[in-house]
Amino acid sequence: MTGVDLLIKLALAAIVFFGVLNLAGLHTWVERKQSAIMQDRIGANRASIFGIRLFGLFHPLADAVKMFVKEDFIPAGANRFLHTLAPFLSVFFALAAFAGIPFGDRLMIGGRVIDLQVAKIDVALLYIFAMLSLGVYGVILAGYASRNNYAFLGALRASAQMISYEIALGISIVGVVMIFGTLDLQELVRAQGATLFGIIPKWGIVVQPVAFFIFLTAAMAETKRVPFDLPEGESEIIGYFVEYSGMKFGMFFLTDFVETVMVACLATTLFFGGWQIPYLLPDGFHFPWGAVLPVNPLAVVLLGIGSFSLKVLAFCWLFMTIRWTLPRFRYDQLMHLGWKILFPISIANVLVTGLVLALLHPGGW
Amino acid sequence: MPRKRELTFWEQIYIPEIIRGVWLTSAHFFRNLFLHTVHRFGLFKDLPAAVTFQYPEQPRPLEPRFRSRHRLTVREEGTPRCVGCMLCETVCPAKCITIVAGEHPDPNVEKYPVRFDIDLGVCVYCGYCVEACPEDAIRMDTDILDIAAYSRDAMKLDIHELMDPKLRKPVAECQLKFPHQCAIHGNQIEGSWESVYGSHPRESEDRDSRFRGNDKVVE
Amino acid sequence: MPTLTIDGKQITVDPGTTVIQAAESMGIFVPRYCYHPGLSIAGNCRICLVEIEKAPKLQIACNTPVADGMVVRTNGQKVEQGRQSVLEFLLINHPLDCPVCDQSGECDLQNFYMQYGLYDPRFKEQKVKKTKAVPLGPTVMLDAERCILCSRCVRFTDEITKTGELGIFNRGDQSEIGLYPGKELNNKYSGNVVDVCPVGALTDRDFRFKARVWYLSSSPSVCNGCSQGCNIDIHYVTDRPHLAGGARVMRVKPRYNAEVNQWWICDEGRYGYHFIDQGRLRKVTHRGVETTWEKALMELAGALGRVKEENRQGQIGVIPSAQLTTEELFLIRKLFVDSLGISQCDARVPEKPGTSDDFLIKADKNPNTAGAVSAGLAGSSFDTPAVRPEPFGKLRAGFVEGRRPATQDERCTAAQIIDRCLAGQINVLWVFGHDLVKLFGEQTVKKLSQELELFVFQGSNENGSSRYAHWVLPSAVYAEKDGAFTNCHGLAQKFTKAFEPLKDSRADSQILTELFERLAAVGPEQAVHPSTGPAPDLIGGSG
Repeated sequence: MTGVDLLIKLALAAIVFFGVLNLAGLHTWVERKQSAIMQDRIGANRASIFGIRLFGLFHPLADAVKMFVKEDFIPAGANRFLHTLAPFLSVFFALAAFAGIPFGDRLMIGGRVIDLQVAKIDVALLYIFAMLSLGVYGVILAGYASRNNYAFLGALRASAQMISYEIALGISIVGVVMIFGTLDLQELVRAQGATLFGIIPKWGIVVQPVAFFIFLTAAMAETKRVPFDLPEGESEIIGYFVEYSGMKFGMFFLTDFVETVMVACLATTLFFGGWQIPYLLPDGFHFPWGAVLPVNPLAVVLLGIGSFSLKVLAFCWLFMTIRWTLPRFRYDQLMHLGWKILFPISIANVLVTGLVLALLHPGGW
Repeated sequence: MPRKRELTFWEQIYIPEIIRGVWLTSAHFFRNLFLHTVHRFGLFKDLPAAVTFQYPEQPRPLEPRFRSRHRLTVREEGTPRCVGCMLCETVCPAKCITIVAGEHPDPNVEKYPVRFDIDLGVCVYCGYCVEACPEDAIRMDTDILDIAAYSRDAMKLDIHELMDPKLRKPVAECQLKFPHQCAIHGNQIEGSWESVYGSHPRESEDRDSRFRGNDKVVE
Repeated sequence: MPTLTIDGKQITVDPGTTVIQAAESMGIFVPRYCYHPGLSIAGNCRICLVEIEKAPKLQIACNTPVADGMVVRTNGQKVEQGRQSVLEFLLINHPLDCPVCDQSGECDLQNFYMQYGLYDPRFKEQKVKKTKAVPLGPTVMLDAERCILCSRCVRFTDEITKTGELGIFNRGDQSEIGLYPGKELNNKYSGNVVDVCPVGALTDRDFRFKARVWYLSSSPSVCNGCSQGCNIDIHYVTDRPHLAGGARVMRVKPRYNAEVNQWWICDEGRYGYHFIDQGRLRKVTHRGVETTWEKALMELAGALGRVKEENRQGQIGVIPSAQLTTEELFLIRKLFVDSLGISQCDARVPEKPGTSDDFLIKADKNPNTAGAVSAGLAGSSFDTPAVRPEPFGKLRAGFVEGRRPATQDERCTAAQIIDRCLAGQINVLWVFGHDLVKLFGEQTVKKLSQELELFVFQGSNENGSSRYAHWVLPSAVYAEKDGAFTNCHGLAQKFTKAFEPLKDSRADSQILTELFERLAAVGPEQAVHPSTGPAPDLIGGSG
């Protein structure tokens, strides 16, 4: 790897980092504003700089200032090291997972091929799932290190929930992997560029609709947000970060939003063709009725990035809408849903997918 | 009434119901987002996008029966209509009213409040004082809601603020002429009835007719 | 002995008894305005109407003598209608002053109207205007409009005080209560007309606008104004400190006791309660510097203990007060005389006899001189105040026989103690309550303060002694403690605490008991429950 390659990788990492963190930060604003608009309200709009309010966009800024200047409190008798480590772990794994997300097609500049993916890993999907699973350590550590029974119980609830749903989550994507035959996300996205019967884009949702719903449900549970926010229960029950204040609390808070973005990215990548635009091939649009519209390859890549971003934003919006529409599950309902409904359905989905594949490709593939 | 309703199969599979809910909230979202946007351009102003009142700038219209901060009604000559009967003090469930009664020069009035304090930090705004008052001397119709203050003391209204709802703490100058007890004079009783009525009304021959005309409440 | 039936119950009463008295003895209350058991019968208010069988109309219970076989009904539709009509007449010219009227809350017009009133009044005409808020004298305010002309006050001034200041003037609806020309209602019992007035026509100037009567709590007590020991109710407010400048006691009302004061009390006693809240000692001080009870008691007990060890009892003088309760006087005797062996302990001070009359006011202004005598702290007999003839018949006899004789040697009086102080023979002086400046002059007390080794004042109020004493121990007034006073007729009367002692002040009994404990000479149990205390029948009395 040359120095230029390294620079390019760093630049990519910086772009992803910048985009994700800003999107997560913006989520606090979207959360307030979207809920307000859904509920016929106006929403937070009082933070202002020199009288300019800008639709309340300064509120995330004010939040950040508040988080930074608040007292960082560690309870007496808590494990100071673990207590401090937990939020960092939490946010680190959430952010590290983004390295595996391809956000555009490969770019050719000056004979150099740049994959628009921070880390080009053959098993990017496994990597991302590994990172997401490690995130539970931050939660458990937070509850464990707080020396607070409520925090500890909250952490137990969180880990139980995350483990239950990770299984369904993992199995739900097996079908996708089986169909496209790869764990490399970039390849997986590229494979979704094909069409079924010449007109329908071969996106994950088309070939694996059941898996998509299971994935969506399990992924939302993974982000620990309403209606699956039992670990936190910020409104009435007490969650694992009850003993956190200031920016450490802010990091847990941020982790939620980063995970939301992560899940939106995964959903886009696995089921909505990633950066694909229907009928857009590297040299232009090839419509099913035969018309061809040539497009500059660079523009195609940029359109792909735009398409990916748009899909991610749409998912973010959907998650937010669901979060402000549904009430919280009861804990037994949550477990029931995870183990008795999602898990068997996902297994069945794998079986059916396998059967269909075996029938379509009797000689194997 | 059955406490638990059995869910139908359609409801039990969740997904349709969730979609129905998301549909409802999204409908509100897009309608309001659209209205907010076009309001920027001055269109469809009569269709509200939000029910919010932007409170300090845009006060919410109050119902006529709304119980706001108290006031003492005032006679024409600038004395309180209150006769110091202490019925409000008696009925007050929060015990926030403090009255010290004094001798009024007119024997037909007989009694008046030398001191009349209401501790708004304690008041529960039940309005019993208004109900109990036999003289229509205390009302809760000032439409003042913002009684917040930086100290508990600043929430204690004395006779100045109660007689003139426009006055806000700190009251620097005492405008009341009749003898009364207030913090401005170091909680001493200051003032004289001569400054209100000229000569002492006991010596005035037509004192009855003179006072009978004063029963009108100054609005 | 006529036997009659009232409300279905039979009773036999003395001949000449009226129906209202007979009913009262059965516990049946008949409403009344003009009738007062202590006054002659006027029969003019008509509210006490009762139904008597075979009588054509309703009869007034107050002036109908009982007859054998009489059947009386004090209730029922006919009686209630009658009372309703009477109330309608009484209220024709009664103003709607209740909110500003001091009587409101204890007003019989209000009370009976609640029961028998015509709630939908028919009177639409102008009410007759009369004078309002007219002072009749130093203590009483008249509102002629509120008067229902029951004439109780007129009969009181005619029959009880025999001063006759009040009368009813004019005729018809212009009739009103007033003073005879040139007179003023300023007799020594004038406050009682407020008590007898069933409505708000006569109100107390001292209590005027101070508080509403429903704020008041009441506690039975005994007046400490003189040795008559009139029974009183202390009306106090402790939860509204803004009233009457923070005073707790709002007024004093007489309490019926047939043997002592009947329904009455003198003005001196009625208005003499202000010392309870004014000019009180609030802090323990040592030479003007505030200190704590703990320190004071330790030091004083130490000083007394040293005196006992060094056998210097002759150098201590104690002047107890006949204002203290019998129990406290006994404790003083137990502590200073019996335990420490001090002989110079005497409550007899050279006080000038106060005003007196042959009714309730006694010259001896101490409520418990007899108690001091029985404790052996005031010589062997009543010397200054003579025992007065008994005004109300049967009184407890045999007090003098039951009294403990003075112990050991004949003790000297307070004046002698002060003389010995000045002569340098006594250098420790303990004074209870007395104002030595008033009794012996400022120069003497100043000299005492300079020359005495230890000068302790234990009292409730600031006075000359508290200014000059080295140690000032604030004690509770009678309303703040339990105890008994023995009056000049030898009747011991118990009274109970109305409210807690003010600030740091403590009951004298508590102070003395704690001194006992620290002296460790006599255990506190022995001090509180002495085997050789005053005869038990002396404490008891009519509480």
